[in-house]
Amino acid sequence: MLQYLARRLLGLVPTLALVALLVFLFVHLLPGDPARLAAGPDATPETVALVRQDLGLDKPLPQQFLRFSTGILHGDFGRSLRTKRPVSTEIADRFMPTFWLTVAAMGWSVSIGMLIGVLSAVWRNRWPDRVGMTLAVSGISFPAFALGMVLMQIFAVQLNWLPTVGADTWRHYILPSLTLGAAVAAIMARFTRSSFVGILQEDYVRTARAKGLPESIVVVKHGLRNALIPVVTMMGLQFGFLLGGSIVVEVVFNWPGVGRLLVDAVDMRDYPVIQGLVLLFSLEFVLINLIVDVLYAVINPTIRYR
Amino acid sequence: MKSLLRSMPLAALVLGALASVPAFAAKDVVFAVASTFTTTDPYDANDTLSQAMAKSFYEGLYGFDKDMKMIPVLAESYEASKDGLVYTIKLKKGIKFHDGTDFKADAVKANLDRVTNPDNKLKRFGLYNNNIAKTEVVDDYTARITLKTPFSPFINQLAHPSTVMISPTALKQYGNKDIAFHPVGTGPFKFVEWKQTDYLKVAKNENYWQKGLPKVDTILWKPVIDSNARAAVMQTGEAHFTYPLPYEQAEALKAKPELQVIAAPSIILRYLSMNTQQKPFDNPKVRQAIAYAINKEALSKVAFNGYATPAEGVAPQGVEYAVKIGQWPYDVAKAKQLMAEAGYPNGFETELWSAYNHTTAQKVTQFLQQQLQQIGIRTKITLLEAGQRVEKVESWQDPATAPVRLYYVGWSTSTGEADWALRPLLYGESWPPRLFNTAYYKNPKVDEDIKGAQLTTNSTEKAKLYKDAQETIWKDAPWAPLVVEKLLSAHNKKLSGVYVIPDASFNFTDIDLK
Repeated sequence: MLQYLARRLLGLVPTLALVALLVFLFVHLLPGDPARLAAGPDATPETVALVRQDLGLDKPLPQQFLRFSTGILHGDFGRSLRTKRPVSTEIADRFMPTFWLTVAAMGWSVSIGMLIGVLSAVWRNRWPDRVGMTLAVSGISFPAFALGMVLMQIFAVQLNWLPTVGADTWRHYILPSLTLGAAVAAIMARFTRSSFVGILQEDYVRTARAKGLPESIVVVKHGLRNALIPVVTMMGLQFGFLLGGSIVVEVVFNWPGVGRLLVDAVDMRDYPVIQGLVLLFSLEFVLINLIVDVLYAVINPTIRYR
Repeated sequence: MKSLLRSMPLAALVLGALASVPAFAAKDVVFAVASTFTTTDPYDANDTLSQAMAKSFYEGLYGFDKDMKMIPVLAESYEASKDGLVYTIKLKKGIKFHDGTDFKADAVKANLDRVTNPDNKLKRFGLYNNNIAKTEVVDDYTARITLKTPFSPFINQLAHPSTVMISPTALKQYGNKDIAFHPVGTGPFKFVEWKQTDYLKVAKNENYWQKGLPKVDTILWKPVIDSNARAAVMQTGEAHFTYPLPYEQAEALKAKPELQVIAAPSIILRYLSMNTQQKPFDNPKVRQAIAYAINKEALSKVAFNGYATPAEGVAPQGVEYAVKIGQWPYDVAKAKQLMAEAGYPNGFETELWSAYNHTTAQKVTQFLQQQLQQIGIRTKITLLEAGQRVEKVESWQDPATAPVRLYYVGWSTSTGEADWALRPLLYGESWPPRLFNTAYYKNPKVDEDIKGAQLTTNSTEKAKLYKDAQETIWKDAPWAPLVVEKLLSAHNKKLSGVYVIPDASFNFTDIDLK
């Protein structure tokens, strides 16, 4: 197992190196001159030249890439073109709010989603199923920005129960995490249901029932565990997406997270920040994938890694 | 209660000597603004918002009042030499920076020397280095600035929100770049902290030189990007002031008894520039026809919800030396006739670009497309995103191949003086990539007027030259002038004394909270 983990972690290196190269080329292909953008509307060409030199953009592309990649090896991701602060600080400042929001949203949505999925599968084609799936389809179809605005209007503006924007106390987390989690809960519910429906028709479930086990044991012990594998895969994927910072939710609720940072960075052609963020997102995905693989082994002892 | 508890340690820190004042009396004001601040250093900022915020702790030698009239701030008076090359500035006495340093002529020298030194690589370098040759200290309270060539709007440049006085001691202590994280000025508020992701906080300067000011204890500058969220925090009372307010939200907020919605006049002109170097826009008749074909009244109503007025000249009213010429009439018959005379009775096809991609720009360009259709001009609309705009318009190297044709854009004359309204946009040497003459307009007569006005310090003479320039431009019609925007802001009725001034900066020295 440990050996497997070590090998997987080593495998990360070429993946990330490839991502770094692609991302570097990609951002430099975006139209628009960052020096001109940074210098502002009433700058003279001399000023633009100064700014370009200041940002290190006057050097040839290969040289810039060399500087970028040697920087990474030393843990230096460069400085933001916009704020002049190190990219690592910029991202670190915003990572935790996004992380906790993701955890909050995943927490409620996975538990509620799985519960609805299981209930729908057990009472398949009866009213709990209908209600559950109606909720799930609504959750998928309702756009996050609209949901966020409606929630804000009702609970913050009209009822004054919850704060509108910011990320200071737990009360600030309620509305954004509801908005962010709605779609995930819906996806989880549908996924759990379909996986569970399949499992409930398996031979071993029939055997368990024939043994005279109570239905609750059959569902929880024999059904749930086996239905979990595809659900965990989906969960990992969703977690990765949310960690990238939901741009919509972070903008609507003014959340100080990485999603908003990315929007700002792309707007200003802030190359180092874009590169840093994309690298971070790829790293997150790869790590989550690894964790999901390990979870498989925990859920199903017949899966072994060597 | 929660927010009160949180503000207590800060209030205690700030009030210091006044510690006996109970914390619940603290006047904490929250401003909700539209984007994150790029820096606190006005010499390195290019956005109006960062410069407006920096007015919390920084002041200039000159400044603008709420009606954009120039007033002396840290300066007492100035004198320009006959040849317009040397400006001698007398400073006010007894003013101290937040760090206790006395404000003296050496501060003027330190600040201007800093920005004109190319090694410091400041974004405002061009604005100063173009004209300042040297700055000298005559005595403690007199500074002398020598220009490279006469530049009559120089005092307006000193009033520009980027020309502020930073404590020379702090500049030495923190250095050229780090000063942005430790701003030290003479302003009504002291810098407290800047959490880049969340807010910037300033607190009352107890020793402010204008007695009795400021009247509030702290200001929290909070960027709230989404305009709906900005309207929401005003309704819940989480913020006391917000700008800009989207037109669509104005009615909803007006209905709230505790809120006041204000539409303030601006000097932001929106126009449609036409590439005069390219066919068919090289023909003045075609350009005039386009100007006639657009109903500017309807445009203000449709795209700006009525929060704009039709343009009445080349430079908007409120800019010094702006000439009010009157609206360009809406007359489709005349436009058709001009098109026929120019040889395009059936119109032509062309590109219509917008410098912005927000909703208002979308509405404007669609409206323009429909209006131009009336005289047979078929347009293809592209809303340029900032990067595309820079690439395809602002930094296009060869004027002969410039792809821009019809271009919807706007300009705010941040110095409040006609030179900056005309020179960057219509001077023959201001073609991109140098400046923003996107019409590629060049008229020797206009060029002479602009040049001449820079050289003279006689204001009657200047007014005459600018009047001639503006009237000539109006007739040549390198632009179809469209509208002058109004600036929509909202504030809680408990808050008084905050103004959005015509260049979209703020004036808040007098604010008070009931």
